[in-house]
Amino acid sequence: MTEAAEEILEHLEAVSFVAGRDARAALPAVQGLGAAAVLRYLERGRELFFYDREAGKAYFHATADLVQAFGGLDPWLEQSGVFLTQRGTFRAAVAFFAQAAAVRRDHGLAGERCWYEQGARWIARHVDSAAAYFRVPAAQLFGSAGVEDLETLMQPAEELAKGRLGLGTYLDGAIKVRAICGLAGVAEWARRGKDVLAAGRIRGEAWFRLESDEARAFLLEVLPGFRTGPHKRLFALLLQAWTGLQLPLEEGDWSVEGGRSFLETDGRSLFVPAVMPDREEALLAFYHTGAHLAYGSYDQDAIHALFREIGTEHPPLDSDQRITWRPLFAQFGDDLLRFQLIFDLCEDLRVDAALDREMPGYIDRLWRAATARSAPAGAAGAYWQAALGIYADYRQGRLAADLRTLLEPTAGIVDAFRVALARYADTQLPPITLAERAAAFLPGHSPNAARPVYPRRRLASEAVEMDAGGALGAAGHKEKPREAPQQAEGNDPDMEIPPEDIQGTGGRVGVGIPMPAKVAGSGRGVQGPKGGWPYREWDYRQQRYKEDWARVHERSLRERDEARAVEIAAAYDGTLRRLKRALQAQKPTRMAPLRRQFEGEEPDLEAAVQYVVERRAGRSPKANIYLQRRPQQRDTAVLLLADLSTSIMAEAGDSGVRVVDRLRAAMLLFGEALLEVGDPFAIYGFASKYHQEVILYPVKRFGERFDSRARATLAGLSGRLATRMGAAIRHSTRQMLRTQAQRRLLLILSDGRPADYDDGGDARYLQEDTRMAVKEAREQGVHAFCISLDPRGGDYLPLVFGSGHYLVLPHVDSLPQRLPEVYLRLRGSH
Amino acid sequence: MSRHSADNSLRHLTEEPYYQPVGNELAVFMAAWQRRLPVMLKGPTGCGKTRFLEHMAWRLKRPLVTVACHEDLTSSDLVGRFLIEGDETIWQDGPLTRAVREGAICYLDEIVEARTDTTVVIHPLTDHRRHLPIDKLGTEISAHPDFLLVISYNPGYQTVLKDLKPSTKQRFVGMNFSYPPAELEQNIVAKESGLAAEQAGKLVQAAAKARNLKDQGLQEVTSTRALIYAATLMAAGLAPMEAVAAAIISPQTDDPELAAALEEIFQSFLAA
Repeated sequence: MTEAAEEILEHLEAVSFVAGRDARAALPAVQGLGAAAVLRYLERGRELFFYDREAGKAYFHATADLVQAFGGLDPWLEQSGVFLTQRGTFRAAVAFFAQAAAVRRDHGLAGERCWYEQGARWIARHVDSAAAYFRVPAAQLFGSAGVEDLETLMQPAEELAKGRLGLGTYLDGAIKVRAICGLAGVAEWARRGKDVLAAGRIRGEAWFRLESDEARAFLLEVLPGFRTGPHKRLFALLLQAWTGLQLPLEEGDWSVEGGRSFLETDGRSLFVPAVMPDREEALLAFYHTGAHLAYGSYDQDAIHALFREIGTEHPPLDSDQRITWRPLFAQFGDDLLRFQLIFDLCEDLRVDAALDREMPGYIDRLWRAATARSAPAGAAGAYWQAALGIYADYRQGRLAADLRTLLEPTAGIVDAFRVALARYADTQLPPITLAERAAAFLPGHSPNAARPVYPRRRLASEAVEMDAGGALGAAGHKEKPREAPQQAEGNDPDMEIPPEDIQGTGGRVGVGIPMPAKVAGSGRGVQGPKGGWPYREWDYRQQRYKEDWARVHERSLRERDEARAVEIAAAYDGTLRRLKRALQAQKPTRMAPLRRQFEGEEPDLEAAVQYVVERRAGRSPKANIYLQRRPQQRDTAVLLLADLSTSIMAEAGDSGVRVVDRLRAAMLLFGEALLEVGDPFAIYGFASKYHQEVILYPVKRFGERFDSRARATLAGLSGRLATRMGAAIRHSTRQMLRTQAQRRLLLILSDGRPADYDDGGDARYLQEDTRMAVKEAREQGVHAFCISLDPRGGDYLPLVFGSGHYLVLPHVDSLPQRLPEVYLRLRGSH
Repeated sequence: MSRHSADNSLRHLTEEPYYQPVGNELAVFMAAWQRRLPVMLKGPTGCGKTRFLEHMAWRLKRPLVTVACHEDLTSSDLVGRFLIEGDETIWQDGPLTRAVREGAICYLDEIVEARTDTTVVIHPLTDHRRHLPIDKLGTEISAHPDFLLVISYNPGYQTVLKDLKPSTKQRFVGMNFSYPPAELEQNIVAKESGLAAEQAGKLVQAAAKARNLKDQGLQEVTSTRALIYAATLMAAGLAPMEAVAAAIISPQTDDPELAAALEEIFQSFLAA
């Protein structure tokens, strides 16, 4: 080593121990290049380190890899000089050093140069943008294309920078857009985005982050394929029909890198991509994923057994109590994807065969869809062919012996795992990268371990299942609004979990162990407001009523929104008009004559004849021989009781639409329809906070007019507190008994099971109380009917309201049309 | 002076109506019959309630009187009324009265549809009194020893507001009907329609899946009767999916998505 070099090292050491140590550690990689190179190298290192500690450290750390990848110091040493030109470049520098070697290896010298130049340009312009650029994983940045494409991708950013749009925001969106609709799409998207940005900063950024409706609308416009959005209900119906499962459908990823989008599940919901290649593939995907759920790929017991296979007693859970799959595959190290794919092949075959027994011709359909497609190239093609081969064997009944065991009805995911392990041990299948993986799946199939899952419990009667976490704020409904699906690289969130977090040490804190419910004690010390109407409440554990336990208060809603009322009326103008036309068309029947009246405009011929006949027979019949024609007597009174608990503020599947938005529209339409029909009606909302404070919000009482004030109140509805349904039903029943009507219908609109902050996490308590309240109401002649938005309503509603006395509408979008229809049908005139 | 008119609305069943027992319903009915306890048949549309009763009437060799109840049904429609004939007024027994006099089985189908004031006339017939008061004649007739009252009742969606009074319900022996298990249903469909058992089996399997869709806006799920209709159309030479569309899907729903879902389900079985 030359003296000059030694001098630099000592200088570094004098300034920082770490710097000296790191520099010395890096030196061996450089020393083979000659003394001049060493000197050059150390000088640049020192410059960088004095310029910024972090940049210097990253430089030294990356050296060995860089020298190896580039075969020397050029041109990266030169390139790193750019970070000395501006202040605050260390983030960009760190990211550059971290990736440069890999870029050189994967994309060649020219590729690396291009990659560097694209980023370096931004150093002078906007340092943070440059840092964002260098941080984007190069595999994502380049995608499947080459150097020119990167230039084309970056092109629009220059123009947008004038509108002060950061490169990070642009790239994030642009990469997704490129994956979805190609480079031409990116240009068009950026061009329109520029105008949006000019119209408003927030709107523009939302466009580029693909968060706004207009950006999604744009994508839908340019995207080829089958739109799943309008058919979600069909899919949900089919899933229910075939598997008996009622799962909420959430919006899934648009597309992953590699241009395929998958239907995924976390064990509770299905995540549906906005676009799939065609209807058949979408159907196959629903059937296949449904089969996984129905045949136990995500059952708690099965998953536990699976983890026992690898010697882990309890699968590791993430913060949401979901099981993460990574430890299963940890033993395979870098070859994890290969094993995962083999495992997927086996498990897919198992559930497909099980489904095929239920659904004749399912595998034939899968086969037809797969053979209509051409096999992908490269490593993915090998897996595709392997899968195709297995299904070909299946159809001809000549499956290999190990796979045949998976056809047993008793086979489970553990068997698939064992078969996969054995197959993995002597597989001919090539290694595969994450980017290629997406193409390896047959139509409708997808990575089974794509998302962490909530394990499904078998046989657990959901009706009496305890809710985890009874903390304040968690009361209300079982499901918290779900997080938006993430768009991780290769779409595998497990990939983002650092290895130290996945070593499977259990972590079953607070799960699964039902806490004893303490209803009587909780809520103590909370003084409810005075006054109100006391009602009893049923305690199923004691099998008796707690007298005067719940107090109901009536309060009026102050929030009103006239403008929104008008907006909703306009948005649902078509529906409302159709509804009114339908009602008017029925009017003649509503004018149906009342027969056998004691007075009226004309004689009732039949009754008159009978009268005469009976007189002749020597009897003295009653003179009810008249016919009255007037609008049908108002013999049905209805009270609409809407659950206004917090959960209605949650988003409901589709982008940006909250439950409350549909609720408002539904209740407005209901009011308009009832005005047209002429039945006496009332609209109340309800919420609760402990048993002393059950609040009913009258929007329109019986006898009040449904006027602009009521409409504005409905338009301004918002969610609050919890759902103590029993007390609300008892109070509503009391209101209804005051009306003059032969039939009384209490229509309850809810989005989940009854719950309150003081129910001690015992879901059954308020459910039983509600059941009793419904029973009491029926005995008093008030018939309760529940319309629920809870997809799992089928589990408990029959117990509470009785069969035939509820309707589950898991698709909130249809609520505004359905609510008036349901009423009219119940009323018997539709 | 009035006399009684003598038209005959009693049905004597001479040929055995086909009925496939599913559970213990024959035994329960026979026991109720022994003690002449009134019977309530509960179950969804088209699951075989009426057929069951016809079969029992045949087996017991009793005539059967069936009244389909509706909103405008008055108590005179059940009990009887005076008619003019020439210069005379004559009393005509209603179907219920005839059954009571002659010892028939009287079947009030879909009793909830009738107005509540109509249904109270059956009360005295349903307990130990076994009397039918006829106001207009000022008499009360005692039921024939073989008289049996049977009502049917479909606890569904449209009866939310028209439930039977608990006091009425408790007077009856309740029997629950539902769609038969797959194997039996297949026999039934094949036998009734003349369709090959294999095809009938496919229809039944598909129906089992389609029935999972209750609660989803279907007022009634696919009934055994609808399956028999579809099978009959198929046996008459209609293409399977056309028969299904005509006999099952379009009568059941107007909702295009629901129809598409049903079609997809039946298609999977029938195309295979």
